[in-house]
Amino acid sequence: MPLNPDFPWLRAWNGPLTADLVQRPGDFGLGRVPERLQPDATTSMVCGFCATGCGLTVHLREGEAVNLSADPRYPVNLGMACPKGWEALAPVSAPDRATAPLLRNRATGALEPVTWVRAMHEFVGRMKGVQERHGAESVAFLSTGQITTEEMTLLGALFRSGMGGRHCDSNTRQCMATAHVAYKQSIGFDAPPYTYADFEESDCLVFVGSNPCIAHPIMWQRVLRNPHKPAIIVLDPRRTETAMAATLHVPIAPKSDLALLYALANALLARGAVDRTYIDAHTDGFAEFERFVAEFTPERACADAGIPAETFASLVEAVANAKRASFWWTMGVNQGHESTRTAQALINLALMTGSFGRPGTGANSITGQCNAMGSRLFAHATGLPCGREFQNPAHRADVASVLGWPEERIPSTPGWAYDQIIDGIESGAIRGLWIIATNTAHSWIHQTRFRELAKKLEFLVVQDLYADTDTAKLADLILPAAGWGEKDGTLINSERRIGLVKRVRRPPGEALSDFAIFRLVANAWGCGDLFRAWRTPEEVFRLMQRLSAGRPCDFSGIEGYRHLDQSGGIQWPYTAADAAKAGPGPLPVEWRERRLFADGRFHTPTGKARFLFDAPRPPVEMPDADFPLVLLTGRGSSAQWHTNTRTGRSAVLRQMYPADCYVEVNPEDVARLGLLDGRPARLETRRGALEVNVVSTPTVPSGRVFVPMHYDGVNRLTAESFDPHSRQPSYKHCAARLVPRKS
Amino acid sequence: MGSDAERDVVTLVDELIAEQRELTAVERFGRQHDRGDRPLLEKHYRDLIPLSAPLPGEQYAFEVELDACSGCKACVSACHSLNGLDEEETWRGVGMLRGVEAKAALGKIAARTEPVARFVTTACHHCVEPACLLGCPVLAYDKDPATGIVRHLDDQCIGCSYCILKCPYEVPKYSSKRGIVRKCDMCQGRLAVGEAPACVQGCPNAAIRIVTVRPEAVRNHYRPARVDASGALSDPNPFLEASPQPSYTLPTSRYITRADTALLVPADAARPRIEHTHWPLVLMLVLTQIGAGWLCGVAARLFVGTPAATLRFEGIAGCLLVVAGLVASAFHLGQPRKAWRVWMGWRTSWLSREAMVMGPLAGIATLFAASLWYPVPIAGAATVLGASLAAATLAAVFAQSMVYIDTHRATWTARETGPRFLGTALLGLLISIRAQPGVLIVATVVLAALECRVFHHRHGKEWTPWKRSAALLLGPLRVGTVSRFLLAAAVVAAVSLAVPAPYVLGIVVLSALAERRLYFAAVGHERMPGSPG
Repeated sequence: MPLNPDFPWLRAWNGPLTADLVQRPGDFGLGRVPERLQPDATTSMVCGFCATGCGLTVHLREGEAVNLSADPRYPVNLGMACPKGWEALAPVSAPDRATAPLLRNRATGALEPVTWVRAMHEFVGRMKGVQERHGAESVAFLSTGQITTEEMTLLGALFRSGMGGRHCDSNTRQCMATAHVAYKQSIGFDAPPYTYADFEESDCLVFVGSNPCIAHPIMWQRVLRNPHKPAIIVLDPRRTETAMAATLHVPIAPKSDLALLYALANALLARGAVDRTYIDAHTDGFAEFERFVAEFTPERACADAGIPAETFASLVEAVANAKRASFWWTMGVNQGHESTRTAQALINLALMTGSFGRPGTGANSITGQCNAMGSRLFAHATGLPCGREFQNPAHRADVASVLGWPEERIPSTPGWAYDQIIDGIESGAIRGLWIIATNTAHSWIHQTRFRELAKKLEFLVVQDLYADTDTAKLADLILPAAGWGEKDGTLINSERRIGLVKRVRRPPGEALSDFAIFRLVANAWGCGDLFRAWRTPEEVFRLMQRLSAGRPCDFSGIEGYRHLDQSGGIQWPYTAADAAKAGPGPLPVEWRERRLFADGRFHTPTGKARFLFDAPRPPVEMPDADFPLVLLTGRGSSAQWHTNTRTGRSAVLRQMYPADCYVEVNPEDVARLGLLDGRPARLETRRGALEVNVVSTPTVPSGRVFVPMHYDGVNRLTAESFDPHSRQPSYKHCAARLVPRKS
Repeated sequence: MGSDAERDVVTLVDELIAEQRELTAVERFGRQHDRGDRPLLEKHYRDLIPLSAPLPGEQYAFEVELDACSGCKACVSACHSLNGLDEEETWRGVGMLRGVEAKAALGKIAARTEPVARFVTTACHHCVEPACLLGCPVLAYDKDPATGIVRHLDDQCIGCSYCILKCPYEVPKYSSKRGIVRKCDMCQGRLAVGEAPACVQGCPNAAIRIVTVRPEAVRNHYRPARVDASGALSDPNPFLEASPQPSYTLPTSRYITRADTALLVPADAARPRIEHTHWPLVLMLVLTQIGAGWLCGVAARLFVGTPAATLRFEGIAGCLLVVAGLVASAFHLGQPRKAWRVWMGWRTSWLSREAMVMGPLAGIATLFAASLWYPVPIAGAATVLGASLAAATLAAVFAQSMVYIDTHRATWTARETGPRFLGTALLGLLISIRAQPGVLIVATVVLAALECRVFHHRHGKEWTPWKRSAALLLGPLRVGTVSRFLLAAAVVAAVSLAVPAPYVLGIVVLSALAERRLYFAAVGHERMPGSPG
């Protein structure tokens, strides 16, 4: 019997408010959708946040996106998405987008809207002025892993060949530089060898400084689909969500990873759990490595890492017994003071156990940004396109011939890295700076220094979706950019998959795609002629394909955007020879998940991978009496992306994380320091202080505290320190103290 | 930049802006589909929903595998997008339990406890005895007899928010844009055609599924409430660690874990949250209670022989207070034009019953006040009217108290609610009859002292609802708390200094408003685990 059967005739079972939530069959394989948002067509594109590179089905009405859902056909995410993906339209729909170029009035100091023509006039006039006064190399750009590869290619070529600039870098320096350098040194090319199917096929997954449950939820989904009951081992100072879900958490002391990984190598050697045949056939330098790791005894490793001997023994046991061991790392490794060697310690482990090129194996870098790899391959920051070197005349000739430019147009000198550009502002070498789709004033390590230095610049241009980012507030000129969903192009994900983004929204006002802005700059600068054949993203994509031909990242076999669209993205390499084998049209299923190095031939001159190693060093700033805690930073939730410039604009995402910055502290420390759970405290380092709310949690070990990186001011605290090979900043270790505050 | 170049730029700007406005994805990449295509995700969720509709004696329920949830919160977003909710609106939430958990031996590692945080995704539990439904004054909830889904009838709702107070799981969400409440309906339309609810579709870890349960089994499982020898509710909570006791509404969701979660506490346990102060309700309660009490005093004086003519303005004052209270309550409604429906839930809803008493109370109060000006020429009429007024006042205060007691919120017990509500009416009466200053002072002091009982919970070891309430009153609400007791002191002072009754009445009203605001803002209740930070 119904619970309250009274007066059915007096109850409004239907009406306008009820109709708001009515669903209808959505067609297009979507299942039911809200009637209000029923699409008349759909299209698929890759997400523009992280490097997982999920496919999203965009629901279109009259060509315009009205809603989206995760794409069940995309081989990456199989119909799933994290909250950022689900909310991907919210940041571009935000009411506070930049809609016109804004120029700072030198008299009043206010930013005032101007036309694009005026903005370009200022841009060119003032940048050229800086160059005339201080030399062509006195202007620099800092860009991003968040724009399309076509845009990066155009920007790099425009800046270096068109504008005569030299120093340029991207926020991928903060994210993937280490993986890039580690791969390049060890295996001859920045070539993450895996495909996401390896998550499902491995019988032992070792995650180091990686928390996919929160940072890459869709990769974790793939781990959970693994039918082999794998050992899942997490090396992390914190008991992260992934550590909790693992079969073994190795709670190492911060930055003790390198020594521990050497000790693991030593212990595997002692057990004979190495593949001598593979080592002999496919690697160089093992004998030296073997001698080097001999001193890394289990006792020493456990003492340094602060872990019980049994835990280390279990780690050794699991890796030794694995038939398909895989080693995965993310920012916990990349953002360290000796990060390149740490990443290479993982590569060494994979090499010595023969864990390369077979299903479920590999030394695998999980990338951060949606187009970190596009940036690494095409942004001109660390080299010429596709891993070519500036100093190599043959490489320059290649590029010149593909682009149809005279060879002297091709830059022959490497530029500075991010930190060197910042130092250059201090020294006066850099006077004009163009920042594109990144938020340096928030994200750069020891941000106070950057904010101070920015005042020294004669001209600061910021190109972004919003005029209110921490960096845009410092700008002399703001160029309003179109965002994800408002432009065409490709992104390359962690597993080397080239995926498409499309224009399914009109940006507000006069905002233009970064591609269009770069074309405009080229034209206004007077070097538009160089880019006559670069009119559309797809034209540039064809150039990129030709640039890739013959390189390890060769994707010249792709037929075009439509081919990518039909195939669920295409992983590089996909050469013309591959295309002949796979046949035209949508990629056959067996081509959709491919890994590298099955033949054991690497991209080094000898074809063999190298064992690279160095003695571990302590981090620059160790805890002491004044600052007794180690401050760790990292991703706080799956709903926040980097500096929260975009994710902060979604009301739904905002409900998924605390509004105010917080610090995770072990309950023992909370009691010892006189703090109270849920109450404010002041977190101090030698560089600055931050108001935070105390979150008491046993998942952070005593003596260490954790702050999510997304909140403004966190990088006031971090200490400038860089890996010597990759020049990537070490965000995850500095000395701090916590002081209680009255609420 | 030369003028030719500038012209080029002008042309190019126009060209680029025009191009930027073209949307060509459909022509270039449009997909071929047949109308009526089966959902592509079907194979993912086929095993996560029942094969067929519930049999008689069964209903649908959410089943959550806590061990599979990694806290990504995709379920919240998927629900939001696939249901087309408003920008700020979410029907599902993810909280956290944390602490230490016992772990079995693993290889060489001995059995031990390890720190852990567990995420808890929660939406409507489609209870066997939904408190929202039983409390709704307008029958805007329906529990589908076939599926057990608790559905909200959006067009029936008057936006009184009582269901929000009634539901211990904070499920119904008020939409100020629409003036109504909305909530999870388990995507009943999707289930009806064999599709999975949005959250089930959206979970990358397949941690949420739909199962069928037998309401009778749920009832037998949770009732009678597990009471141990000392009379306290036993631990652990059979529904979910540190969540509201399930015996109240019989929630059908099931949280499954292989872990021993007994030592976990909600991540937000130590972070009490100020609850919504329903100002229209604060005004309504205080004004009607004082006004009615005052009028009862007027009636008593009339009864003992005070001439009606001398009581006329006092009668109007009391009547105005009651009416003003009722008017204030209308501002509480999101859909005041539908307020006429408020009696419909009389069978189960104390809010309906309150409304059904408040109407007559206002009527009697008006008649009574009018009778002081135009006496009814029937013998005994005044007495009958006065007695009716007293009865209506008692009934109203009783119904008002029951509205809050029936929410089962921990600090809204009869012991806390009764003295406040009745005491407020009593103060009105005492002032009206010009009671001895000593009596008024004692009444004021006793009532204020009763409110202090909560404070001894502040040093409790566990974060009980009482401790949270005390922490709020002494922490974020301390200005309000101090004001409330200063106003009580002001009443005592005014009475001691023989300030005229109308002024005393004014101070008592302010004092009672301060008390009632805290009654709402500092209410302590059991809830689902929340988020840290």
